[in-house]
Formats: sequence, structure tokens, C-alpha cells
Amino acid sequence: MLSVIRGGRVVDPTASRDTVGDVWIEDGQVVDPPGREADRVIDASGCVVMAGGVEVHSHIAGGNVITSRLLLPDLYVSEAAPDGHPFAHAGGAAAWIGSTYARMGYTTAVEPAMPPTHALGTQLELADIPLLDRGALTVMGNDDQLLQLLRERQGGNAVRDLVALSVAQSRGLGVKCINAGGASAFKDGALRLSLDDEIPVYGLTTRQIMGSLLDAVEEIGVPHPLHVHCNNLGLVGGDDSFVATLDAAEGRRIHFAHAQFYAYGAADPANPQTGGFRSAAERIAQAIADNPNATLDIGQVVFGQTVTVSLDILRQFAGRKGAKPKKWVLNAGDAEGGGVVPFLYRPRGPTSSLQWAIGLEIMLLSTDPERTILTTDHPNGGPFTQYPRIIHLLMDKAERDREIATLPGIVAERSGLPGLEREYTLSEIAQLTRSGPAKLLGLTDRGHLRAGARADVAVYRDTTDRTAMFTAAKLVLKDGVPIVEDGEVVEWRSGRTLSLTVESDRAMEKRADAYLTDRFGEGLDSFAVPNEAFDQGVENFEAVPCRA
Amino acid sequence: MAAWVKGGATDADTAIEAAASLLAKARAPVIAGLSADVAAIRAAYDLAGRIGASIDTAGAAATYAELGSLSRIGAMTTTPAEAVGRADAVLVVGAAPWRSQLMKRLSALKPSRGRAAGSDRALLALGAGSEGAAATLACPAEGGLPEAIAELRAYGRGHLAGDTPRAKLAGLLADAQFGVLLYDPAEIGELGVDMLQGLAMELSETTRCFTLAIAGPDQDRAVVPVAAWLTGQAPRSGFGRRVPEHDPWRFDVARQVAAGEVDAVLWLAALPVPRPGWLASVPSVGLVAEAEANVADVVIAVGRPGRDLGGVLWNEQRAALTYWPASAPSERPSAASVLSALRDRLAEGRAASRSEPAC
Repeated sequence: MLSVIRGGRVVDPTASRDTVGDVWIEDGQVVDPPGREADRVIDASGCVVMAGGVEVHSHIAGGNVITSRLLLPDLYVSEAAPDGHPFAHAGGAAAWIGSTYARMGYTTAVEPAMPPTHALGTQLELADIPLLDRGALTVMGNDDQLLQLLRERQGGNAVRDLVALSVAQSRGLGVKCINAGGASAFKDGALRLSLDDEIPVYGLTTRQIMGSLLDAVEEIGVPHPLHVHCNNLGLVGGDDSFVATLDAAEGRRIHFAHAQFYAYGAADPANPQTGGFRSAAERIAQAIADNPNATLDIGQVVFGQTVTVSLDILRQFAGRKGAKPKKWVLNAGDAEGGGVVPFLYRPRGPTSSLQWAIGLEIMLLSTDPERTILTTDHPNGGPFTQYPRIIHLLMDKAERDREIATLPGIVAERSGLPGLEREYTLSEIAQLTRSGPAKLLGLTDRGHLRAGARADVAVYRDTTDRTAMFTAAKLVLKDGVPIVEDGEVVEWRSGRTLSLTVESDRAMEKRADAYLTDRFGEGLDSFAVPNEAFDQGVENFEAVPCRA
Repeated sequence: MAAWVKGGATDADTAIEAAASLLAKARAPVIAGLSADVAAIRAAYDLAGRIGASIDTAGAAATYAELGSLSRIGAMTTTPAEAVGRADAVLVVGAAPWRSQLMKRLSALKPSRGRAAGSDRALLALGAGSEGAAATLACPAEGGLPEAIAELRAYGRGHLAGDTPRAKLAGLLADAQFGVLLYDPAEIGELGVDMLQGLAMELSETTRCFTLAIAGPDQDRAVVPVAAWLTGQAPRSGFGRRVPEHDPWRFDVARQVAAGEVDAVLWLAALPVPRPGWLASVPSVGLVAEAEANVADVVIAVGRPGRDLGGVLWNEQRAALTYWPASAPSERPSAASVLSALRDRLAEGRAASRSEPAC
């Protein structure tokens, strides 16, 4: 069927397009105007038309997310189910995640932390997130098998083969490292780890582990660069860790997760432990501007109750003292494990206000929005449901000023936010939320509206209340099929899980099987994510090729 | 497909029709047991959500000893493989863990990873009763396990002092580099789990210490994550008001049956678990692998995952959900397919009755 979305303001920064016009769709793809009548005409006059949103870093599945639901049963509110899905309004549930993203015009979302030991559980959970295409990043960097290879200096090929095998087995979309070596160090008694600190027992450093993973990702040809969660998250002086890590990448492609949580410069360099922090947004933004192969996502903080979930157990153990309410979970798992610590970003509190300001500041200072991805590191900085409000603040200086006026003076004293005049354009918002994340993930078929794109399209009513505009899209198409109309789901359908096609080395399979059997009493088979584990008759996975 | 209605053998369609009829008449149905693979657990939730049933599991006593404590104070945990690989001291709490497969590995192997690698592993017993002969130090727990654990905490925090066996036990744990507290939640109860988590958290202020729970014979360890991702809540939830309502007391099926609150039960046991006594006292549908004609009013024999057909199950050794292929494939239907058929049949009935005036 040939459809046309007619008369909307079409915003596609990848084609330098921001004009009133049409978007033609046939067989689930965007096509050039075909010169014949459309079978279906969708009137988009008075509306903004963008590609579907793409999420690169949101904790939407996996052991930590499950634990957070059990630790805080009252974090979300459930409402009565709509027709068509019994649990779509069950707060925090998979169907709620899918439908809430879809209502906002997002059509793809990536869980950034899938441990290979729990790949099947994570993939099954992702498969139950409706409406969206999903994906997950395979986490490496703390596992004994990798650290042994490095300790024994077995060479880059062995590391490459182990990374390839782990991605293939877990059916990941990319590779992430989380405070590389930190979880291992924590289990051996450490409380802190920086880039060049020695990791107990292994005699390695984060620099060495991360460096080997950076190389492996490039050699395999993973489209998404190594996704890095640095040391010293949330600490005063985190900006030093960020910049040191960027330097350690030595020009190789690298993605920094939730950069806001590192942009805490020492307010009093002479007394870094006692003087508190000030915004290091300028330093972070400049560092990224100077390194064209580096990208970041924000990890914007929003006010209110949330729960922090992370495989960085070193950091989560340290953070337990700040738990609110006062309960927390720390799992020393088979590689990283996980930590779940409830947290309240106190409305109008000085610390949370400064964190809030820093995230916005990084975005507003960005010289290249396509390398600056909007995230809240859901749920760590706050829920993803706050994206529309954040977009509003980026686009509207007066709205920002109104919010800043309610906040303590520390925002003006220790951040540059109040002085920033910039207002994001719709094209720049599309870069932050569409073209940037799609390019970052190496997904050429989305994030834009050029011919050949997947027909994942969001149509928003163009109003000055950007919060309302981006909360409930007027229309969302997934693969050309309307899934949301007037902010409500109208078609419950399943997306696919995007999974990298990567060959694993037979010799490494044999080695890993022997290693795992010795350690777990079961071999490689018990780490598999077979098609048979998913609903039959439905194609759950979609192959994404490696880079040539 | 083997099936029985009121003890008489019948065919698949008749059994499905009888089961749907029994559930359609119910005003307060319960789906219980859920000893099954992930596909069947998902199908059970889908059915419950659509007919307004509540859910309870076969291993709920142990599960809620864990979850009650978890939602109150949190937890500090590790995995079987980490315990085997890293623990230089294991405190075995109670008698049940001594009978676990994990104890064999803990006894047979020395730590091989981390800072305790190569050292001996101390096996310590608290309240082991007649078990625990292999322990290097054994302390009884006459006053009950929660109280005994509380005393260890008191020694650890300096609230108690003295040269007692429990003081020695507390000292050994404090001196360990990677301590593990092994327990069965069904044995020590919610208060015991609370105490044990507190002990692990306090010990980790100066060293590393983690708890590790032994799973029961059921599939509750699979149900809990699936329930959490499907509904945002733990297993004991009701859907009678079209909103998932989690309430461990209200949706305890044994309590509900005793109080006369249930008028139909669907018992799901695609993997064998002990059958509860209350099952005989309510109209029931049984989806069971080890089928007997009189297990329930309507009985449908389903395939056992891992034997008759493949399925995703809790893997205790791996502490993860893993896929088990069929070891002896058979033609028996999967529990998930029977639950889906029931759902479709009930949906047809509801659509047909929707035009009737409300009373």
C-alpha cells in the first residue's frame, strides 16, 4: 500500500530538510514520490514529522531492572488495562515501557547492560517489550576469563575472539564495558578504582582492559563503538576520569555513557574532598568537540524519586549510604553482578539542582548535537518519560529561566546554565534523539526520512508547549503501520530485537566451553540464546551486519 | 492428548471446553503452581490478566520469605559459581543447604579466583541438626535460626562479647576474605532472611560477605522475573480489577481457599511439585506432566519441559534462565499452547456475552 503523510513540517537533519512537505511510504519503507496517487493520505498539516526516536541507553530489561521492581514495588503506579493488552498500564512493566516510548514517538530502544551470563533472560524480557525494535549491549570487562587472557598476555586475537564469541552467544548489538575491572576489584576488597590503579589479583588496569576492548570492537567491525562507563561515576573529580579515559582511547572510536555523572569538577581544587563540585560541562563539551571519534549520551537528572541500577557494583556499594528509602541490593554476580540503590533527586535540593543544570549545560554547549545523545540513563537520572520536558527546556530559554528561578542560587554560582541563550531547533532535537543515536548504533535504516529508511515515523502537533507535543504523538508509524494515534496505542504488535551478525572462532568456542564447564559445571550451551526459546511463528531477531 | 473430565478419559477438545466452561463460570479464579517453563508462565499471566484471575506459586512460602525481606531492607547476594570460586568461608545456616548439590562442590573444591584463591575453605554450620558433619565448626541454634543469626550480628557489632562458639563463628566470618552465608529461605523464614542480609551488610563494611539462597523444587525462580517484567510486580498479584494488584497476603491461594474466596483453580505443574491439600476442595483444572485422572476436575496432560519438549527453565547451577532441549521428545502439547487455547476459547465466550445487558 502506498501512503503519504501530507503537508507536515518535515524535519530530517540528515537531508538538511526542515520544510513543509510530504513523506511517502510503501511496504514499510520511506520512498521517493512515486508519481501516482496514494492509497492512504495522512493529513499532517500543523504537525511536525520526524523519524521515530532512537534510544541508546535506557535500562529497560535485565536482572537489575527486575530487582528494582521487587525492591520498590511502589515506585510506579498501575492503571486499568486498555483493550488489547492486559498489562500495558502496569507501571514499570515491559508493555508499559514499550507503549510509553511509542506514545512519545520512539520506535527503537537499546538496553545498554546485558551480562553474557544472563543473556537469555534479558533477551526474553526485551522480546516482551511491544511496539519497539529493541537491542542490548553485551557487557565485558570484569569477567575472569577475559582478565585471565589479559593477565597471561595472550594477545589481541584471543581477546577479539572472546569478545566476538560473547556477542554472538548473547546476540548483542554492541559491546559495553562498565568500570572495567571495578567489579572484580570490589570483590577483592577495593573501594575505589581509577584508570591506572592496579586491579587486585590480575595486576591489570582499567586502561589495559578498556584498550583491549576498544581494539577488539574495531577488529570485529562492531558498528557501535565501545560503549564506556568510566571509573569514578558520580564523584567529585569525575571529569578527570572522563578526560583521562578519552585520552586513553587515543583517537579510537568511543562512546561515553551518561556523561553528566562525570561532569563534577572540584569546586575547591585545594580541597577536592570537602569543597563540593562545580559544573565541568564546558570541559566535557570541549573534550568531545576536540575528538570527532567520541560521542556521549547525557544521563540528564530530573527531580523526584527514582532508583539507580548499575552493574558498577564498586560504585553502587559506595552509593548505598545515600539510599533513599534506606534499602539497597548488591549482587556480587558472575562477572559484574549488579547494584540497585533507590535515590531521591530532591526537588530544589542544591546537589540535584546542580546535577540537573549540568546535563542541560552539556547539551547546550555541544558543537555537534549528533554526537550528544539525549538520555536520562533511565532510571538512574530519572525516568525516560521526562524526555519531553527536557526537550522543552532545551528549546525554550524562557521556560528554562522560569525553572531556574525556582532553584537555589548554586545553579548560577557553579554552573554556566543561566547564561546560555541557545535554544535548540527542531532539527537539533532530531539530531539528539533520532539521527545521532541511529548513526551511533550503526543503524542506517532509521533515524532519518530519506528514501530507503524504515517507515518508523512520528507526527507531532506543533505547539509551543513542547512537553505536551513530545509526550503524546498525534501519530506514530512502525514499519509503516500506525501504532499510536492521538497519543494512544491503536495496534499492539511486536518489533524485533536487533542482533549483530558476528562469526565466532571455533577454537575459542572450544576453549570457552572448557573454561565455563570448569567454572559453572555447564558449558557454552547453557549460555545460548536459541530461537526455540522465543514464541514460535514470530521472527524475534533481526540481523545487523558488522562493518566491512 | 491425554485428558480427563471428572475422572473419565476424554479427547482434547472436550477437555479444553470443560476447562473453559469451569473457568468462565468463576468469579474469583486463581492460577496456581506455575511450576513450568517461561513460555507457560507467560501464557498463565496472559490468561490471568484477561480473565481477572489471581496468581500464586508452588514455592511461595520460600519466595515471600525472600521478597518480604528484600522489599524491606534489600539484600547482599552472590551466585553459586562465585561462592565455589571465591569463598574462603561458608556459613551454612540450618540443615537444608547441606543436602544441596552446591554443598558437594563447595566441599570438594578450594577457592580458585580472587584474593582467597588457593586457600582452604572453612565450612561453618549454624543449626545444622543432624546434618553438617563436614563442618569445621558447628554451632547449634536451640532458640531458632533467626535468633542465632541475630546473636552473630551482635558479636560482630561488639554488642556481645565472650569466648563462645558463636563469637568464634562471628570472628571467622569477619576474618574471611569472601564469606558466603548459605541458606534455604523456606527453612529460616522472613525474619531469618532479614537477619542474614543484615549480617552480610555489616560484615561487608570491613570485608566481603554475601548471602546465597538455595532454590526449592519449584520454578519460582523463573516466575519471579517473568512476573516482574510482565506486570511490574512480584508473583502474588490479582487482576480482578484489571489492574495488577500485588498483595502477598490477599493472594495467598491457601488462605483464599480456606476463606472461601476462590471458586476455581487452574493448577499448573508441567514440572512435578508437591500437590497442595486444598486443591481437592475447589473446582479445578490441572495442567500436569505427571497426569493422573483425579488430580483435578479437568485434567490435561502436558509435556514436561526439558523432557517432552524444549523450554526455558531456572537453572540452579547457573543461577540463570537457560534453555533445555527435549531429552525424549513426545507429542504431548506444551502447557503454553493449552493455556493459549483456553485464553482464546474464553475470549470467544466473553465477546459473545458482551452484548448481554449488565445485571
